[in-house]
Amino acid sequence: MKKIRNWIRYIVIIVFNLFFMFLFQSYINLILLIGLLLFPVYSIYAVKKVAEKLSVEIKAPMEAMEKKSEFYIRFLLHNPTFFPLVNATIVMDAENAFYLEKGSHTLNVPIRAKKDTEVSYPIVMDYCGRLIVSVKEIVLVDLLGIYEVTIPLSETRECLVFPTGQSRNREVGQIYIHGVSEAMESKEKGYDFSEVSGIREYVPGDKLQNIHWKLSVKKDELMVKERISVSAMQLIVLVELANDEEMRLESVLELAEGVTKSLVAQNLPFTIYYYSSNIGGLKECYIGNEVEREQWIEMVLYDLSYKDFGRVEQVFSEQVSAESTYLYIGYDPGIRESENVIYGAQQTVAVLRGNTI
Amino acid sequence: MFFQKKKEKPHKGDILLAKGIYLKQPAMKNGSVLKNCFLRSIIVFSLTFGTIGGFLSAFHISYNFLLVVFFYILFALYFSFLYSTAKLLLRDVGYIVFFALFVGAIFVFRVYANSGFYTVVNQVLQQAKIFFNLSGVREYETQINNAYLTVAIVAVFIGMVLIIILNIWLSSAMSLFWTVLLTFPLQLIPIYMKLTPDPFYMIILMAGYVAVVVFKANGHYIAFAWGTTFQAKGLKKNKVTYSQDARVFSQVLISLAVFAFALVILFEAIFPSRFFESRFKNDPLREATSDTIGNFVLLGFSGMMNKYSATGGLSAGRLGGVSSVRPDYQTDLVVTYAPYSTEPVYLKGYTGGIYGDNQWETIYDEENNDLTGENEEIFEEETLHRECGILMYSFLAGEEHSGIGNIDVQNVGANTNFLYYPYYTEFPMGKMEGRKRPGVMGAGIRTGRKAFYMFLPQLSWDGIGDVIPSEIDLSMVDPVYLDVPEKNKEVIHNECEKIGLTSDMTENEIVDAVRDYFNENIPYTLRPGATPEDADFINYFLTGNRKGYCAHFASAATLLFREMGIPARYVEGYAFSYEAALASEQNESEEYDYYYDGFSPIGASTVLDVEVTDAMAHAWVEVYMEGFGWKVVEVTPGNNEEEEEDDFWSAFTNFLSNPESGDAADGGANMLGDLSLSQYSWLVYVVLGIILLLILIYMIGIAIRKFRRYRICHQKNAREAVIAYYADTCNMIRTCDKTFDHCRSHMEQLDYMERQYTLVFEKENLCKEIERISFSMENAENAEIEKIRSFIDEVRKKIRKTAKFGQRVKLWKR
Repeated sequence: MKKIRNWIRYIVIIVFNLFFMFLFQSYINLILLIGLLLFPVYSIYAVKKVAEKLSVEIKAPMEAMEKKSEFYIRFLLHNPTFFPLVNATIVMDAENAFYLEKGSHTLNVPIRAKKDTEVSYPIVMDYCGRLIVSVKEIVLVDLLGIYEVTIPLSETRECLVFPTGQSRNREVGQIYIHGVSEAMESKEKGYDFSEVSGIREYVPGDKLQNIHWKLSVKKDELMVKERISVSAMQLIVLVELANDEEMRLESVLELAEGVTKSLVAQNLPFTIYYYSSNIGGLKECYIGNEVEREQWIEMVLYDLSYKDFGRVEQVFSEQVSAESTYLYIGYDPGIRESENVIYGAQQTVAVLRGNTI
Repeated sequence: MFFQKKKEKPHKGDILLAKGIYLKQPAMKNGSVLKNCFLRSIIVFSLTFGTIGGFLSAFHISYNFLLVVFFYILFALYFSFLYSTAKLLLRDVGYIVFFALFVGAIFVFRVYANSGFYTVVNQVLQQAKIFFNLSGVREYETQINNAYLTVAIVAVFIGMVLIIILNIWLSSAMSLFWTVLLTFPLQLIPIYMKLTPDPFYMIILMAGYVAVVVFKANGHYIAFAWGTTFQAKGLKKNKVTYSQDARVFSQVLISLAVFAFALVILFEAIFPSRFFESRFKNDPLREATSDTIGNFVLLGFSGMMNKYSATGGLSAGRLGGVSSVRPDYQTDLVVTYAPYSTEPVYLKGYTGGIYGDNQWETIYDEENNDLTGENEEIFEEETLHRECGILMYSFLAGEEHSGIGNIDVQNVGANTNFLYYPYYTEFPMGKMEGRKRPGVMGAGIRTGRKAFYMFLPQLSWDGIGDVIPSEIDLSMVDPVYLDVPEKNKEVIHNECEKIGLTSDMTENEIVDAVRDYFNENIPYTLRPGATPEDADFINYFLTGNRKGYCAHFASAATLLFREMGIPARYVEGYAFSYEAALASEQNESEEYDYYYDGFSPIGASTVLDVEVTDAMAHAWVEVYMEGFGWKVVEVTPGNNEEEEEDDFWSAFTNFLSNPESGDAADGGANMLGDLSLSQYSWLVYVVLGIILLLILIYMIGIAIRKFRRYRICHQKNAREAVIAYYADTCNMIRTCDKTFDHCRSHMEQLDYMERQYTLVFEKENLCKEIERISFSMENAENAEIEKIRSFIDEVRKKIRKTAKFGQRVKLWKR
């Protein structure tokens, strides 16, 4: 519509100029007329040339961002030609792949000649997840707004946005006192929740804490202690990734973030389970430090939320153990007040459950 | 609770991209706003400077260039910043401060500004004098003679106002309409006078216009006034616009300036203005309007205004108050008569005997409205009773060249104070006594009524008027018909000398000399302009204006004849030509014999109903010819103008509705008749030439690209050649199908080719070979290269074969 309007406007200008030229036999109007006839040629040539050479790049932060904090997605339009454009429309999608929330919009930018045009998109995400920004096409409009060239593109960038959660050190301590005696014992032994099953040579990637220093000195090469998990003795954490219209999963993840962060901070290793929609079953992760904890969150964000609350508990009891004690982090509106409960927002809770409780 | 602070919304002003994903709204950086303001002010500057500088350069008025540029840039920047400031109070204060400074500056520099303004006006008037061929123009006195400075000061003041208004329209709407309306009219003055501004100003003005078109078309002009970097539009607010980039803005302006510069300079070099002007044989606009505009230049607005009705018809002796006559072509009289001669028919209405105060007055006793006493004698003399008697005698005596006729005159829309009778009408004098004298309200033919006149035409003037004026027997003539007012004496005397009238010339010789002189030296126009308040109508006509319509010529001729001793009087009425009569409807119900009897040079004809319009109202002179009496003398030069449309727009409409009327040969000339394409075919050639040139350049560009590709694909280094050949083939596919871009590796590309063109080949082997040739340093065998080349040839054939029409065009032109 705008293109038609611009055409009409331009033709009207030419007609008026022609009229004045004949009426006044005006040389100025003749030059203007020639200019008016030639300028669209220049304008269309310029946009075609730019379309031929233009490249678009999206830049997103490599590291994970926190939700509700501002970060930048950058669009770089590289135009090596001599022709600037005032009007280029980037057709793009912004998607939170974790919640499957997607929005399409267009971004209208001018394009510099012989330079990179950089547009910084200051983004804030209310929810954690995996932000995917993709450019599907770019529509270039000539200077007169009468001609368009569409360039199909498939540029995509993603960025992880982690949940933020308050530290729950005190509550986590109480839960241990009341329900996880095995774990407490282990703690007293010296914060080691695994048993040494053998010794082997160092392989790049092994944790420093597993290096057997004494033996390494003796053998003059790095030796590491092989450990086996003693999860049965440790805290089991089940995280419910179910979501509803109220976006309760956000509160669950906030609570999980706070609780797990506190556990790691107090050197209390744990095994965390969640239901993975990607694999259609439980996913188990052993977490002993902050790096492992972040890797777990990353894994979660690459997965998908689901709708059925209680699925993780059900699948856990079916596939792992029906008798274990575990810390359930999820939505439970009917729970009674107790020392074994940590409350989150939107009636979300972290609660100890199991046969021993 | 009334003072409870409102809870601020968490994402106020942010743009929602998807659920939970927001685009923040960072405030515009001050630097960016300043840069944009600066660049926008350049548009305002170029338009203002191009307009005013162009105007001054067209009139060859020099001025302090630096001073003007400095202040224009300063003002353009100031108002641009002022407009873009989001704080209204600051903006208002800014305007008030400026207004105060403006008033102060006007007060301090008023003498300079006045002098500069008058310098410009004087220069324009001088050019107008040359262009309009005026006898003289006013010259305004300037108090300060340093025109270089004073013109610059007045240019600064005028430019300042233009900058303020332009800035508002450009900042708020980037309005081309207002831009042209504010800047172009000033250019029309030199354009009208065929003066061309300096190319420099044309360049910057053109660049300014194109900049407005470009920024308006793309809708980004207002971005810097947002205050935020992004703006969301659309129903769902899903159209995000990034604020104007100052660098792009400047790049666009530079490219427009380069474009305008190249165009103006090249075009001026290839096709100078003199070539352009020589293409136009006629200049209808200027021909149609130069009189009116010339009058304006000479007399100002008073020269353009009519003091009384100017729609044709009789003015009853009132002169000088009409700037331009615009007949409405409505019928005033319907005359039924039988043509008896090819000479025009004059229907006498008003007779002026005494000239004074720009008016011809009758010699009737004005206190007496009736035809009694002295007035009856005057009426008898005015209606040529004696001459009629002579002709009646001749007719009754059966003399050669005598005749008698009847004429019916019906008043349809003419002034009802007059009788409109032909020469020489037999009035029944006894019956006229006591009736109202002509000129008195209701004395003439009432509207809708018919008057029936019997008249005796004088068909032969042989031997009449062949005496010198001093030999005229004046005993039968009122001395007032020889009176030349004192204030006209000198002018009339000089004019007689100029015409070459001498006392030894006969009456006929004098009449002929005056008629010829007018015909050759003084043009006829319906738009002579009103006579200035303090000027005498006849003096002004003969010494100042020297153009006019019938009343001017008849009035002047009357006094010229009187000056030479020939009794003369001014007459108004209606006159129509034989041709006009022939174009009228025949009255088949009436008999010719009833309407005419006697000698007729054209033989017996038919009775006609002639519709006499207000455009046929006329003024002429009656001179007293020794040997007969009063005779009609026509001194008004031939008038082609009356037959033309005097309204430009009517003419233009006619032109549009009847394009063939441009052919002058058919007599249907109109003002824009020369706009026909045949006469402007050169312009079509110019445009076609440009288009052909562009096509040629385009074709050459394609040929060069194809040649380059061929050279690269067939270079000596067979390995490089086949790599280039493969790449070119990929480009061919890409031209046909953009999705080919998704194939990033050789394998993917070959896979695409296999699928798309149903080729059968060893894909993996070929891929390896291509990759080895492309990336490995190993020597490639010729057989290998040939194998790849033959594969590529096959692919290219398939591409061409399967391409649709549009794709083939793209392939051809790439």
